[in-house]
Amino acid sequence: MTAALALDRASRTFSNGSGIFDIDLELEPGRIVALVGLNGAGKSTLMRVLLGMLRPQSGRALLNGDELDSAPLSEWARVGHLVEYPLAYGELTARRNLELSARLRGVADVPAAVDRAIAEFALEPYADRRVRTLSLGNRQRVGVAAALQHDPATIVLDEPTNALDPAGVIRLRESLLRRAADGAAVLVSSHHLDEVARIADRIVVMNAGRLIGELAPDISEIERAFFELVRADDEKAGR
Amino acid sequence: MKAAIWAEAAKLAGSTVGRVASAAIVIGISVISASMLLAAATTTDPQLLAKLGPVAAGDWRGFLLGAVQITGAGGLGGFAVVLAWMFGREFGDGTVAGLFALPVRRSTIALAKLVIYLVWAVAMSLLLAIVLALVGTVAGLGPIGSGTLEALARQAALGVMSVAITLPVAWAATLARSVLGGVSVAIALVVVAQVSVLAGLGGWMPLAAPALWAISLGITVSPPQLALLIPFAAIFVVLIAQSWRRMQLDR
Repeated sequence: MTAALALDRASRTFSNGSGIFDIDLELEPGRIVALVGLNGAGKSTLMRVLLGMLRPQSGRALLNGDELDSAPLSEWARVGHLVEYPLAYGELTARRNLELSARLRGVADVPAAVDRAIAEFALEPYADRRVRTLSLGNRQRVGVAAALQHDPATIVLDEPTNALDPAGVIRLRESLLRRAADGAAVLVSSHHLDEVARIADRIVVMNAGRLIGELAPDISEIERAFFELVRADDEKAGR
Repeated sequence: MKAAIWAEAAKLAGSTVGRVASAAIVIGISVISASMLLAAATTTDPQLLAKLGPVAAGDWRGFLLGAVQITGAGGLGGFAVVLAWMFGREFGDGTVAGLFALPVRRSTIALAKLVIYLVWAVAMSLLLAIVLALVGTVAGLGPIGSGTLEALARQAALGVMSVAITLPVAWAATLARSVLGGVSVAIALVVVAQVSVLAGLGGWMPLAAPALWAISLGITVSPPQLALLIPFAAIFVVLIAQSWRRMQLDR
């Protein structure tokens, strides 16, 4: 089966020497992959390359088997993402922002999709308020709802639990579990092993721009195992 | 394209920048022009009358010449600020990341921004001409004859032509990834236009041609000189679309 989104030996470095190196990663339908790593490990860079925001200097980024530049434009309608900042304009209401995202993604019944997203992420009290006036957490809810409302087949979320309150985290977790059960391929990143990382089928550990191993989601001392993996990698590289 | 145009229209309609600039262009230029007319009608100070230039005549011709002079610099500035905001804000607010990985090309999004900017600028230019006609009528300048209608049409055309000469602002805001980068270039455009007039380039300088054309009642700038605005605008539309198509979030 072709992976929904994939990186094939992809590298992208910056002038300061940081970046991602030789990354192989495949997102498969029905599976949630959690990408965990300390701040600065390269998680956001990896996601940017995966979504075409950065071009790899070597290796390839693929959407349904096609390199991103040559992938049919319509395929992107089935991708939902939130990387760093939510697509939420301060001058527009939460509802209008959701409408804007739905239209850009070619949703057929925009009002119905927006209503569903508002209900799914409990945005009713804020729906008609300008996003500028919302708390950081509620703005993040709008961003997550905008990324998921078109029922994407591939979901890429960069630290989506940032600023979310516990109720928001639970809603996001349930939403991702349901979507994966319906066949979506999911990638979520986190700098800690939070509630969302723990629902993953695979937990991939990133350190200093490389994928250094995986953690079994069901082991009891998962934090300890994570830090052990990172420490061993740092020691090996003489960092 | 339809979705991108809808999105850009929603953003501009909901923005404080759009509302303030619209008011500043239509009400601001009308109020300044009316104030000059009032000053001309109520003063006998020869120095002030000299400063008021053509407006001192107290007729339609002078009133509308004053208005095009203000529009040539002030209107251009107002347009440029809106354009700089439309492009630069995506970087300042971080929303540009959400404009990747969509079934709409980024170059289409950039072109949609330009279409909405054009529609808004044309609407403001027409509205300003209508408000100036009302102000002049209320001020008792008399009936609007064919000469006055021509002057009002030149006033509106100056606004529309300003769209072409502000396009470098959108490219600069894109390259600098900030509103301020675009605004800086807007200031530079006004300076370059002034210097080029002083240097004798006149109508051959696209940045200065529309204002010179309107101020000289369409005499000193020839149609081929005005036509240079078309390739000038086309070059910047292509540059803007290319910059958005090739964009990487590497800074």
